[in-house]
Amino acid sequence: MYRQAYYNEDFLIDYNTNNDYYLDDVEDDYPDYIKREKLKLPDVRSVDVSRHFTRLSEMNYSVDLGMYPLGSCTMKFNPKYSDYIASIEEFNKHPLEGEENTQGNLEIMYNLQEYLKTISGMAYSSLQPSAGAHGEFTGILIIRKYFEMKNELDRRNEIIIPDSAHGTNPASASMGGFAVIEIPSDESGLVDIDALKAAVSDHTAAFMITNPNTLGIFDDKIKEISEIIHNNGSLLYYDGANLNAVLGITTPGKMGFDIVHFNLHKTFATPHGGGGPGSGPVAVKSFLKEFLPVPIISMENGQYKLDYRLKNTVGKISSYYGSFSVLLRAYSYILKNGNNLKNSTEKAVLNANYMADKLSKYYKIPYKKLKKHEFVLSTENTGKRALDISKFILDYGIHSPTTYFPLIVKEAMMLEPTESVTKKDIDYYISVMVKALSTDSDIIKKSPVNTSVTRIDEIKVARDLILTWNKNEKTLNKI
Amino acid sequence: MNENDVMLGALNLGNINELFKDIPPDLIVNMDLGTPLTEMELINRINKIKNKNNRKNLFFLGNGIYDRFIPNLVNEIISRNEFLTSYTPYQPEISQGILFSLFEYQSIISDLTEMDVTNSSMYDGFTSLAEAVRMAFRINGKNEILMPENIYRSKLDIIKNYSYGLSLKFIFYNFGDNGKIDLEDLKNKINDNTCAIIAEEPNSYGIIDENVFKLNEIKGPSILITYYDPVSLGILKPPGEYGSDIAVAEGQQLGINMNFGGPLLGLFSFKKEYVHRSPGRLIGMGNDLNGKKAFVMTLQAREQHIRRAKAMSNICSNQALLGIAALSYLSILGSNGLRKIALITMNKSKKLKNELNKRNVKTVFDSINFSDNLFYFDNKELLRKNNVSGGIKLSELSDISKYRNTSFFSVTEKTDDNDIIELSKIIGD
Repeated sequence: MYRQAYYNEDFLIDYNTNNDYYLDDVEDDYPDYIKREKLKLPDVRSVDVSRHFTRLSEMNYSVDLGMYPLGSCTMKFNPKYSDYIASIEEFNKHPLEGEENTQGNLEIMYNLQEYLKTISGMAYSSLQPSAGAHGEFTGILIIRKYFEMKNELDRRNEIIIPDSAHGTNPASASMGGFAVIEIPSDESGLVDIDALKAAVSDHTAAFMITNPNTLGIFDDKIKEISEIIHNNGSLLYYDGANLNAVLGITTPGKMGFDIVHFNLHKTFATPHGGGGPGSGPVAVKSFLKEFLPVPIISMENGQYKLDYRLKNTVGKISSYYGSFSVLLRAYSYILKNGNNLKNSTEKAVLNANYMADKLSKYYKIPYKKLKKHEFVLSTENTGKRALDISKFILDYGIHSPTTYFPLIVKEAMMLEPTESVTKKDIDYYISVMVKALSTDSDIIKKSPVNTSVTRIDEIKVARDLILTWNKNEKTLNKI
Repeated sequence: MNENDVMLGALNLGNINELFKDIPPDLIVNMDLGTPLTEMELINRINKIKNKNNRKNLFFLGNGIYDRFIPNLVNEIISRNEFLTSYTPYQPEISQGILFSLFEYQSIISDLTEMDVTNSSMYDGFTSLAEAVRMAFRINGKNEILMPENIYRSKLDIIKNYSYGLSLKFIFYNFGDNGKIDLEDLKNKINDNTCAIIAEEPNSYGIIDENVFKLNEIKGPSILITYYDPVSLGILKPPGEYGSDIAVAEGQQLGINMNFGGPLLGLFSFKKEYVHRSPGRLIGMGNDLNGKKAFVMTLQAREQHIRRAKAMSNICSNQALLGIAALSYLSILGSNGLRKIALITMNKSKKLKNELNKRNVKTVFDSINFSDNLFYFDNKELLRKNNVSGGIKLSELSDISKYRNTSFFSVTEKTDDNDIIELSKIIGD
């Protein structure tokens, strides 16, 4: 039986065990008017800092503990060779250290750019965005600049997005100053061609989609969609969150997309770190190269360069050149696996379809039967809520799927097993999901009970709003 | 029998290709990503590439990213697989470790800055600053942003990129010959349309500018956004003490490798009355059904997955793990440790300025500096020949038209006194 550790752990600020980190005394002859009145950081011995985080880590679920099938998150195994390589001191360079001293780092980045071009079927790429949403935003800026240079920006002020899209898509479009036009999906869960045609107009700058979509269904009308968009002079944007479904099989470039972002922390196995850091490179067709953020990495006569020579660049999007140590991990993953990456894609899709097929005997799985890397089921027909089932699952030492997304499926659970799990893992997971259905509702509503804590009163948290350990703080909303 | 065959059998499929028959044949590609490598071959290949990097003898780089000493315990903590290989804590009951740690991160940065609230991280310092500008606009809807005339070009670039659709106007305020804010000039530029004032402490010349502490008196109803240096707060007045509404910084110095400039850590703090207008994730404290202390992501209605096009920001993945690095770093050092690191840094700056001045490489300003020091010096070739990393020209970083022939040399607690002497011999007379 699964039992997660629980420690009644104190905040570091309440330890008061006398800091023992030794540093020499320092001379201080600076004037008081620049100095702070007081500073109260935790007063803790190093051994207690170590124990504190060891205990907290035991109260945290992770890929290295078991199956973590969050849909659209691609929680695959994070290979440890990548961790080692990312820790190599020679790569730990200052960003302003100069091209002649950082040829190794630049070579890694150049090679990764090349890999990403091949994988996406695009002509150029930039590694600068810090996460998937940041890559989307970069794509949006490229779209802006492209139409600005064509003197069409005044009228092309809309971006069309399907109602099944990831929430970051409309948020990124809107941050880039575009109006968001949402179109409904058709009865098969795919892009409704008539709705798309009706939405496309003089105002359309771009259409943003992922393929396969968030239901895990590949839209075989993608060429037609591409034609509709391009005949209108608009651009087609590929949200790469679902790239693990098609890596090595087809490419966004082949499908007709103009701009793609990647999530290296999904498809390319870099660890998520409890929420980040991620990395979200973008790639574009050749006619959009001049708009990429600078610098891109180029190579001339065997020398790698930080290349700022892009005529209509959108400029900078993050402080330096991108999340280098994440790029290094992703590069190592691709270099190591090479043509075997296609096998990973196949296994990921096989796992998802096997799991969907087995679960379809118990849960309603809407839309087309053949899935790609993920699928969405609904608990609506079971008389149980997705929320309750997701909590019940935790008691068995496995992580729940993404819930209540996409928004077009009621009581949705979105599952992405990835290629890292075996039939044995999946069969166990299915057995728990089936067991949930025959478990008494009273019990299921009280679950989880084997995790560090039980259900949390989230409404009270939002009402009282305690956001720091400062005990004197009055609850924020009451002020 | 191979488990894949068993699974295909269960699906009544003859081979794996049938799983891809929904992809039109003309879209199928033949991709060459190379022969797979053994782990040993991979490491050998990477080692060859790593050897193409050089490290110069003398290191004086900074200007936002600093080579500081990192206690080994920090790396030990953030390497724990339970943190490293977990996702955003969407299921809080099974993810208390990350949530507890991020709540402590929010707390420790709020204490360090004396601000009310800190979110659970942004991408980096520059995007934090850009998000702060967006947040200021959401708060008062005004459109003039006052910013320092010497602001780094990349910061300005990112702010502009982040503010399309807000129709903001950027107005630059001047600095005096002492390298500090010209308060009169700034005062004249504040008016009814002023949305926010961006102030830097230490500023883009590396100077600790006490005029920043006086901005609260002249800012009126506009939003004061401070861009600070987190290590400097071991000794300097924190943003909350001088009335900042939003305080942002690059947190790389707090226990994170330079990593060629990424991943970094965006510190983002603000006054509590603005919490509903703030970007990014927030971790709140409450109780579970048994009354145990428990943590959960809160106020998610501000975020993209709920609010979609009307979200405060599009940010989803953040820099959670690096937030834990910063929390660990600050807890290991403690108040006195951070104070010492800050003082050593300032003393090294003082030493550097003295030694270079002695050999007639003159400081541009007579000032107290933190890490970055600006000198009348402009000879990259001399530095290159003598194996020195450093000497970033002001003109490489900022568009300000003054001081075009000046360069930075930066220090941290790791800078060796002998290296300072050696530098002075190389570039001095």
